[in-house]
Amino acid sequence: MNSFISKQTVWCLTLAAVLLWLPAGAARAMHGNASIAGVTGTAFQFTAKADHITTGDGNNVFFWGYANGGGEVQYPGPTLIVNDGDTVTITLVNRLPEATSLVIPGFAVTASGGQPGLLTREAPPDGITTVTYTFEANRPGTFTYYSGTHSDLQVEMGLLGAIIVRPSGYVAADPMSWTAYGDERSAYDQEYLYLLSEMDLTIHKLAEQGLFDQIDTTRFWPVYWFVNGRTAPDTMLDDDVSWLPHQPYSAMTMMNAGERVLMRMIGGGRDSHPFHTHGNNFDQIARDGWLLDEGGGNRAAEVGFIPDKSVSDFTQTVSPGGTYDAIFVWTGKGLGWDIYNGSDAEHMMAVLTDANGDGFDDTTFEYIADHGKPFPVVLPGQQEVTFGAFYSGSPFLGAAGSLPPGEGGNNPNSGFAYMWHSHNEKEMVNNDIFPGGLMTMVIVDAPGGGVMP
Amino acid sequence: MTILQHKMIPLAVAFLVAASLLPVQAGVFPQCPTRAPAPEPNPNPIVFSSWFDDVNGDGMLRASDGEIVNPVSANQVCVHLTAGDGFTNMADGREQYIFGFANATGFNAPAMGEPWDAVMMNYMESAHFPAPTLTFREGDEVYLSLTNVGMINRPDLFDPHSVHWHGFPNAAAIFDGVPDASIIINMGSTLTYYYQVVEAGTFMYHCHVEATEHMQMGMLGNLYVTPAQDGTPTGGFSRFAYNDGDGSTGYDVAYPIQIGAFDPVFHEQHIGVQPLPFANMDDKYPMFNGRGYPDTVNTGALDPALHPRPGAAPMPTLIAATPGQRILLRVSSLSTTSFHTLTVLGIPMQVVGKGSRKLGLTNDISQYYTTNAITLGGGQAMDVILDTAGVPAGTYFLYTTNLDHLANEAEDYGGMMTEIRIQP
Repeated sequence: MNSFISKQTVWCLTLAAVLLWLPAGAARAMHGNASIAGVTGTAFQFTAKADHITTGDGNNVFFWGYANGGGEVQYPGPTLIVNDGDTVTITLVNRLPEATSLVIPGFAVTASGGQPGLLTREAPPDGITTVTYTFEANRPGTFTYYSGTHSDLQVEMGLLGAIIVRPSGYVAADPMSWTAYGDERSAYDQEYLYLLSEMDLTIHKLAEQGLFDQIDTTRFWPVYWFVNGRTAPDTMLDDDVSWLPHQPYSAMTMMNAGERVLMRMIGGGRDSHPFHTHGNNFDQIARDGWLLDEGGGNRAAEVGFIPDKSVSDFTQTVSPGGTYDAIFVWTGKGLGWDIYNGSDAEHMMAVLTDANGDGFDDTTFEYIADHGKPFPVVLPGQQEVTFGAFYSGSPFLGAAGSLPPGEGGNNPNSGFAYMWHSHNEKEMVNNDIFPGGLMTMVIVDAPGGGVMP
Repeated sequence: MTILQHKMIPLAVAFLVAASLLPVQAGVFPQCPTRAPAPEPNPNPIVFSSWFDDVNGDGMLRASDGEIVNPVSANQVCVHLTAGDGFTNMADGREQYIFGFANATGFNAPAMGEPWDAVMMNYMESAHFPAPTLTFREGDEVYLSLTNVGMINRPDLFDPHSVHWHGFPNAAAIFDGVPDASIIINMGSTLTYYYQVVEAGTFMYHCHVEATEHMQMGMLGNLYVTPAQDGTPTGGFSRFAYNDGDGSTGYDVAYPIQIGAFDPVFHEQHIGVQPLPFANMDDKYPMFNGRGYPDTVNTGALDPALHPRPGAAPMPTLIAATPGQRILLRVSSLSTTSFHTLTVLGIPMQVVGKGSRKLGLTNDISQYYTTNAITLGGGQAMDVILDTAGVPAGTYFLYTTNLDHLANEAEDYGGMMTEIRIQP
């Protein structure tokens, strides 16, 4: 009997461990990888063509997108990551049923080849003719590109993407060199893209059937909302998961307490979205690639420095075609209780010290002045609450608590989990299915990782 | 069968062991902790089961008002909210089924010789819209207990509820109210949230459980924190929106204004136990503080023919001031569907704060701006000063320039509008 139980126990624990670690494994792999997924270089070969994306309610939605080189056509288009001063060329071939093009707000773009169009030169829908767009990426920042032809339909169909211009001095292998705009005011530890968009399913169904004369974009009624081309819960999967071949980009956000997180937000569709950050305010530091400063001025932020005309907020209006950079930090300042439950050594994988007496750890900038203060309330018993998939079973950072079978599991390092989402809450659904849409989860991990129960 | 049972043994044992290690407090248990009076073996241990009378009737127990005996700190505040369902009526009289909050702080069950579960009977079907306005002071130590009294009109539902203090700086996941990230309270039970209030500003609160549904159903409320600078005369004022250092956010009168809107189809499908129209959600009753114009300017009793439930829509939004006064508008939006632009006819709007923060640092007014239109999406807040110096006495209108939202569904000249009355 004893040996039977122990065998079963081992089996149960193994199964539990597998169940616990699998869902968030993808997310965990992203942590520490501060770079946004995308393609680098200076010469890109785009092909515009059609395929299907998958939404969180199980639907397949016909879309038009850009493929780079031999890659899959994708939504959004490839995130182009270039360097300040680069001369960038994008060559476009069109396999759609109508002419198309690219516009890149913020840069002086020269177009050649193809056929003349209203906003720029266009690629005719012949699958062969190329049009080439050339621009000098002459300043760092967050930018966007999208179709400049029949754009009320083509942007809706998915022809949009992001461009990131790295400042001079940026060295991918050296985290100390990471800034958005070249100095400490935009320095960051982690960097994430939030390209927000939406789709009206009716338009996509009609386009799939070739019924273009029946499409009326003035009756726009979106029912899907996206972060980086995915609806929740797919936003929280890793980059490049095999079952989303046309939606390669994750939005799962992970950080440690005290880290500066660069949020690059882009309005990719035709609606504005109020993007709300649970956990703390952010400081908006730039708009459309321009720092919010006056003559290089700076001011102190919760951690480090930001441009002097930065704007703190908890919800960013992300408007169509606009880009917004913000620094988000979660330090735990002022909670009034010890997030390590009496600084239990079992929960703390790192030694935190505050020699200068400002309340923050001298290296990580995590707030540690509340250490030793007791947890202020008695939590209800397990029968009285409903558990979230990202709840670790305990209110403490890095400390898993016991959970009933089947509960929790998406937060194996027992970080503090938050939700970042559109606060026009209607946009948190996938068609008629709640939850979903324009939402991702965010995890503030314990320093040095967490512990298993 | 036997083998199956055997397989369950380790799980069951683990569960029992784990359960026995957790603090268990069954049922309704609002917490307003106190320090046990000396002498005790352990100096001043915390007692979690205390509750007191709301002597001054302000909807909260406040140590500095003498309402908490042996408080854990001088700035302790305790509030007891309930979450459940109810009904309210739109300005045209149309009945709407709602989810919402009510303030049960004055219900002192132990003093009445009642078990705490009596809160269930006393507060079921008592939700109103908007939720009780919560006003705290910078430095407060807040214990906010939430009891889920269930939705008596939807006995098929077992929804938990939560309080999300929207914009709380450096929030802890456990007290953030997000169901995915923490715990949410089941029917018949109470969860106590703890907030050490370290920043002043205009926030808001709402239930975050099944957020699109529960928020469209009305679980929305005003929440703001007054700054520590209050009471210190600065720049000719003694009350301020923020710790500005120079009195530039000083005001004479302040009003919270929360944007919200109902889609009547959603509410009627809900009470009809029908599938809910998420994709087709389309608001037809735009409101300030739970009322459409002209109910917004009615500070007395609403017409009982249109509003048979007194207290279901308890909050007027009439803005009154004397000539020369500075008015602070604490504007927030909890619309679940759209952005709204607001304008004031005849009085410039100076924006001094946004997202619970002053624009710019202390003693810096360079980021303030004056405008005739402010735009807020869901989950956004702005602090707006209306300076009536030189403004003739009279009535001025504050309304949305999204003009289709100036209606109570089919009834025109209504919706998201109120009046500013400047009278000597």
